[in-house]
Amino acid sequence: MSTDLKFLIVDDFSTMRRIVRGLLKEIGYINAEEAEDGQAAYQILKSSKFDFVVSDINMPNMNGFDLLKAIKADDELKHLPVLMVTAEARKEDIVLAAQIGAAGYIVKPFTKATLEEKVQKIMQKYGAAA
Amino acid sequence: MKLDDLAALGARDEPMMVAPEVFQQLGTITRVLHDTMGQLGVMPKLQQATDGLPDARSRLSYIANKTADAANKVLNSVDQAKLDHQHIADATHEMAKALMADPVRAVASGMVLNFVKDVEQTTARIDTHLTDIMMAQDFHDLTGQVVTKVVKLANDLEDSLVKLLVQVVPPEQREVVDQHVLHGPIVNPEGRTDVVTNQGEVDDLLASLGF
Repeated sequence: MSTDLKFLIVDDFSTMRRIVRGLLKEIGYINAEEAEDGQAAYQILKSSKFDFVVSDINMPNMNGFDLLKAIKADDELKHLPVLMVTAEARKEDIVLAAQIGAAGYIVKPFTKATLEEKVQKIMQKYGAAA
Repeated sequence: MKLDDLAALGARDEPMMVAPEVFQQLGTITRVLHDTMGQLGVMPKLQQATDGLPDARSRLSYIANKTADAANKVLNSVDQAKLDHQHIADATHEMAKALMADPVRAVASGMVLNFVKDVEQTTARIDTHLTDIMMAQDFHDLTGQVVTKVVKLANDLEDSLVKLLVQVVPPEQREVVDQHVLHGPIVNPEGRTDVVTNQGEVDDLLASLGF
């Protein structure tokens, strides 16, 4: 497992960002930054290199779907795996996320085991694991 | 402009630039709308509900602040408790190594006694952190009461607006729904087939689509 990968955690709730960051740290990924919405996240992604994005969907300014679309439409960023971590539990939202290009989808509330499983699976699929 | 002013405007004798029939028609339409809403009891209820909106905003801010404070307090306490826990784990490991190597020396040097004191102090700190976590949950009682009031206000407002919409929206527009509205957490998933209730269902759905 490559633990020096850089994560961007996108969520409008600071406590949720902190929880995801804490869980990633326990899993072994200590290199993470945070953004409070899709707009801020996109700017951060354009200014610095990241290996993985964990994003909420329901956020102000730019929601998770729009962030995902922006990432997948950007030649520099489209390779980035984006894991959606959200309370949106409607099937059409899950399908939409997959169609746009999400690498995974986790519904809140979730466990550390679920996050770890999804991150590992995505890492293997995207060839990012060491 | 009030309805009475509009009626007076329509009834005045001076020559007008616009045909009086237009004002008369406008006045009639407005009067019908006003009377209809009055008969439905929409206006007083709507007024009451909208009057409560600034109060609802402050109540929601209160909830956001209380829950954010509680969450931060819990996370800080957990961080501290984990550090203390790790300290005990490390100290125990060292103690075990010392006892295995030379038990007599470990006791005679005071290492065992120091370890016992250290464990005693650290567990007391952990107990304080756990108590802090428990006390941080006091927000629930306070926010619960506030949530009840805000929900009632939202229900009243929704009820009034739905009645108003039924009266004014053209029939062909009534089925138009914004497909991109995000719904947030599903509060009552029972009996619904359009939502998932756990991560397993998410995985199954994505697998069935080939993802």
